[in-house]
Amino acid sequence: MNNFLFTQPFFKKNGKAVAIYFLVAIIFWFVFLVIIPQFYMLDLSFRTNVPPLARGGPEDYYTFEHYSHFIFGSKTATDAFNFVDLGVFGRTIFVSMLVTIANLLFCYPIAFYIAKIANPSTARLLIVSLIIPFWINELLRSFALRILFANEGVINNFLTGVGILDQGILFITYDIGLYTGLIYAYILLMMFPLYNAIESLDINQIEAAKDLGSSSFRTHWRIVIPHAKPGIVSGCTMVFMLTVGALATPVVLSSPNTLWFPQLIYQWFNMNDNWSRGSAYSIILLIVSVIFVLTMMRIFKVRIGEIIK
Amino acid sequence: MRPSYFINFMMGIYIFIFFAYLFGPLIIMSITAFNSAEFPSITPWECFSFRWFNEGKIAYDGQHLAGLLSDWRLHDGIISSLIIGAGVVTLSVPIGMAAAIVLTQVRSQLRDIYYSISIMPVLFPGVIIGISTVVLWDRIAGLGGEGFIADIGRNGIFLTILAQTCFISTYCFLIFVARLQRFDQTQEEAALDLGASQTQVFFKILVPYLSPAIASAAVIAFLFSFENYNTTVFSILSDQTLTTVIASKVRLGISPALSALALTIIALTIIAAVTYEVLRRRAEKRYAESQEKFVKEKAADNRINKKYKAGFKIPKGITAILLIVVFATYGATQIVKNDLYGQSCIDAADKEKKSKFLEQLQTLESNELTDEELSGGSLGGNQDYGDIFGDPSLFQDFGGFD
Repeated sequence: MNNFLFTQPFFKKNGKAVAIYFLVAIIFWFVFLVIIPQFYMLDLSFRTNVPPLARGGPEDYYTFEHYSHFIFGSKTATDAFNFVDLGVFGRTIFVSMLVTIANLLFCYPIAFYIAKIANPSTARLLIVSLIIPFWINELLRSFALRILFANEGVINNFLTGVGILDQGILFITYDIGLYTGLIYAYILLMMFPLYNAIESLDINQIEAAKDLGSSSFRTHWRIVIPHAKPGIVSGCTMVFMLTVGALATPVVLSSPNTLWFPQLIYQWFNMNDNWSRGSAYSIILLIVSVIFVLTMMRIFKVRIGEIIK
Repeated sequence: MRPSYFINFMMGIYIFIFFAYLFGPLIIMSITAFNSAEFPSITPWECFSFRWFNEGKIAYDGQHLAGLLSDWRLHDGIISSLIIGAGVVTLSVPIGMAAAIVLTQVRSQLRDIYYSISIMPVLFPGVIIGISTVVLWDRIAGLGGEGFIADIGRNGIFLTILAQTCFISTYCFLIFVARLQRFDQTQEEAALDLGASQTQVFFKILVPYLSPAIASAAVIAFLFSFENYNTTVFSILSDQTLTTVIASKVRLGISPALSALALTIIALTIIAAVTYEVLRRRAEKRYAESQEKFVKEKAADNRINKKYKAGFKIPKGITAILLIVVFATYGATQIVKNDLYGQSCIDAADKEKKSKFLEQLQTLESNELTDEELSGGSLGGNQDYGDIFGDPSLFQDFGGFD
């Protein structure tokens, strides 16, 4: 095993005690915390939902019923497809993509400004002030938006008080609050990869493009963006994954009529006590996430190591 | 690149809007914590008060709205959050360190796979990590019958520590990897040449070199654990942490006590950030001074040793603090002068609300339905609801409880 896995004999290199500590820690993490739970969840998602006492009995068999429920709905339903769940799922994916694009568009100018235009002390100040909101709980940040967007919240009170509107806008009901909150929640995870990528670009390249008569837009399109590609991919992946899997922000900000996909999982799991179906829906979410990462890696030709640094 | 003044100006406006978007909601939320009204708001400003930080209030209709100090659920949540945070730190920092050191030793063909497995947990949605941990441990607890394993398998705090360790270890791993990239291997070789054992090299060379990374990994692990919701809400089972308490409170209805809690957390964060920055600068300064001293001692030339008298300068920070103090005192005197603070103001506001409440009650009573209306009359028939109850497929899309 030694020469097969490691560059140098493992036990000799680290000493016996330390080598044992390394092996125990890594195996505990990989096998016990990461791999076995996922496989067990996969197994459960193909089983019938039975109470604990009936496990291993005749009613506990392998089945596709949870996945078919996601696509075709319950057996008693008249619709051909399960439009409710599929709708929630499609909406979650679609909105997450829009949120990712919006984040990229919002962050790019700021990241470029901090990395290349601002003088060092201003840049430092801006970076510190970007980090501060990030340390505040996601739930409480959403709650702050909830105060603004509630039907008798600050914005509506202000608008009706000044006399611009007669009646408040239903921000929560139309999910405007939710979309704003999702953009707000993970914007800094877009900012830092972008900033790091742009920062490493040599300013002389931009100057050279300028001297050769390139327009500002063209310089960005041909020089800055290709250079920042790993940062863009990394930011987009992180933001998309976190938005698709978001639970805290939708819990606080989504309207009572609409659900976010993780909320649907939560319902099957905790309210309807159907762990198998919750697991099946989780697997679907996981597959989508993996497909997204692989597609991003394929399209933009970056390695997984470059996505997370 | 030197953009024109116009573009610079637009950029300034854009940056202002961006930061207003980041900070505006937090600032408004902080202000609402001081409004004595039951609903967190600014515009119908009732009184300036600290009640949401203390005992809260009992509303005129008998509803009890707990403040920060009197909310025992919040206190229980904070305690279990702290326990979980400590557990996660003690597990994930050693795991991350081991994984990062081993990364430098695996063969280059395997390195990509190893690295991918290590960072996979961050890419999993948080809900999935929570669910898979619960599902596995429920099974383990079921196998073991009654006894110790069954007990810990159904213990929410234990499960949460495991679930959070799964992905927080990755963050620690990344911190250690970054630090190890700058490690000078010759130090290890020198120690070995001088006769140290491998274990001694680890404890005398590697661990001291990694100690700044250990500190920052511990802080990051604790913060991530403390503010995690997506994973915790599944794995905590019947217990409560700070985040799940907050979430259940928000779902029940929003209260200014949450604004007060948020403001407390914001204040703690800013104090911690400032302390960290000051300590870091002091350490840097001390390092620079020791370097300077070293140079001076070595230098034979007296020219360097000439003493410079430093002129007295007012630090920028102090002016900012002075300004804030002046504004705060001015604001406070204005508030007291206009009778917007203190018991009298709150009493007046409560009295007004109570009388309004009574008024509404009286109008309701005067509108009491007549016998004819109660017995049905023209109201309440199916046609009043657009005949939705006549729709035979009304409950069919409901899906059932299966």
